[in-house]
Amino acid sequence: MQINHDIAVFMTSPVMIVLGTSDDASQPAIGRAIGALVQKDEGSIDLMVSEWQWPATVANVRANGRLAATFARPSDYVSFQVKGRAAVLPATAEHLSSAARYVERITATLEGLGLDGRIVTPWFVNRDLVAVRLPVDEIFVQTPGAKAGQLVERQ
Amino acid sequence: MMAIRLRDLSACFEGVIPSIIATAAADGSPNISYLSHVVLVDDERIALSNQFFSKTAANVRANPAAAVLVVDPRNGEQYRLDVSFEQTLDSGELFDEMAVQLRASSAQLGMGEVMRLRGVDIYRVSALNAVPSPSTVQAYSPATTGPQLAAMAAVSRGICQASDVDSVVDSVLEGLQTLQYGNAMLLLTEPDSDRLVTIGTRGYERSGIGSEVVIGEGVIGMAAQERRPIRISDMSRVQRFGSAVQTSSAEENRTRTISLPGMPDAMSQLALPMIAQGTLRGVLFLESCRRLAFTREDEAALSIIAMQAAAALALAGDESGEAQPVSSLVATGATKPGGPIRVVHYAYDDSIFIDNDYLIKGVPGRLLIYLLRTYLREGRSEFSNREIRLADELRLPDVKDNLETRLLLLRRRLEEKAAPVQLLHVGRGRVRLELAGPVLLDKAAGGTD
Repeated sequence: MQINHDIAVFMTSPVMIVLGTSDDASQPAIGRAIGALVQKDEGSIDLMVSEWQWPATVANVRANGRLAATFARPSDYVSFQVKGRAAVLPATAEHLSSAARYVERITATLEGLGLDGRIVTPWFVNRDLVAVRLPVDEIFVQTPGAKAGQLVERQ
Repeated sequence: MMAIRLRDLSACFEGVIPSIIATAAADGSPNISYLSHVVLVDDERIALSNQFFSKTAANVRANPAAAVLVVDPRNGEQYRLDVSFEQTLDSGELFDEMAVQLRASSAQLGMGEVMRLRGVDIYRVSALNAVPSPSTVQAYSPATTGPQLAAMAAVSRGICQASDVDSVVDSVLEGLQTLQYGNAMLLLTEPDSDRLVTIGTRGYERSGIGSEVVIGEGVIGMAAQERRPIRISDMSRVQRFGSAVQTSSAEENRTRTISLPGMPDAMSQLALPMIAQGTLRGVLFLESCRRLAFTREDEAALSIIAMQAAAALALAGDESGEAQPVSSLVATGATKPGGPIRVVHYAYDDSIFIDNDYLIKGVPGRLLIYLLRTYLREGRSEFSNREIRLADELRLPDVKDNLETRLLLLRRRLEEKAAPVQLLHVGRGRVRLELAGPVLLDKAAGGTD
């Protein structure tokens, strides 16, 4: 699916990125990504994840590909959720530098909202980084409220 | 390493850093979402508020297994909980508690849309683990607990020694100071009124004695209406209206209203209803400029103090121990040499101005006028509560007239204004007028005699 320009801009801005996966027994797991890189031609996004910090998340994607990623803007909770079948790739230099930029920007954003920078460091870990490539099949509104869960686009 | 208990993570459930939940549909497809309210029920269960029909709610009904991530707002450490959906509650103690808390925080956030609680989803926690983080060596240490029981017992001993409203109020507020709660207020209900009135405060620039809160309004009013504690742990997003409020004497004179004291930079607030014999007696209110100043432990401990204070107040209001009518009152002049004191009484609301400064209105105002008139007529300055209660011109309601509270309010307000008229407590059920000069009593238009 061609990724809508506004959504691509939103996903690569300093937003919180949380990942939902499940194992083969349908036990869910939670993880965080530190940045997104849009692959426009492929209609997919690469999410950078610390396999050291979130081993279950990465293992689940390797096992069955099922992934839900929610992007939430900290200032107003505007959120979107993308769902699809993902694959784990080794992180490239571009992934690493993109993740480093993200950590800088999101930390500054959260500090601007009054959070202490030391408090947010445990959320943005770059040890053993992998890229999780997620084809954007479905996008849902996730902003809290009556419209939460509504489908925005489907391939 | 010691196993982490759910109760050790109570700071994670204060709603400061949003929690996250991941669920999976019957076919295994995951869903991930931020949560507005997660409550710690006990060491095995947590509760999630369900305001909207969400994918999360649908998923756990098909597949009860879920994962929850909570964050300690003090250090950012993350904890993952493996949980299993058990049931939905749409009534009961826990439901009511969450509904009130939800309403209080949406009102505080100035959200137009009222978030109505549809249900409370209960989850059983089967595993609890710290998420690894390279920034800190994760030697787990249990969170510091709330006030120590021994210190609470000392405060309790102070309250149970108090025999009148005055000393109950002081023993509660002094006790909170010894427990290191810097800013506190005690407000009492007014019979036949929709308001609470401030009878004592600590830690504020001005005491605000005599200021009023409408039941149902704000954190204090809501705790009174719902008769449940309300705790706010992070007010950084709260719209602040208070800072612009004028608190000068000129403003009091104009509006004939005393404004409630408050911290302009409060980050945490705790309002506790005071209930005795099933009746709401008042609200104990604390605030702090620190985030997360009041834990669940604080709330529980201070609720006990608030309830004991309510019982002590109910007993103090009982007249059984009150002084007998005074048979031989000494007609000593209460006047000290000084310039004349001009007291103006507006009968329509019983508001009193002394030397052009607003003092008080309502029953306490009427009481002062009665005392001054009797003084001018009979030359005596000492009064028993009993004769005041029986005075026809005061139009006091027959039962539960709350006389002692009103006299206390009047006395403290005169004290705070450093008025040339003072009221002294001279033994149980007895008060004396002290005047810094001759009194000129003026009835404003519409006054009655």
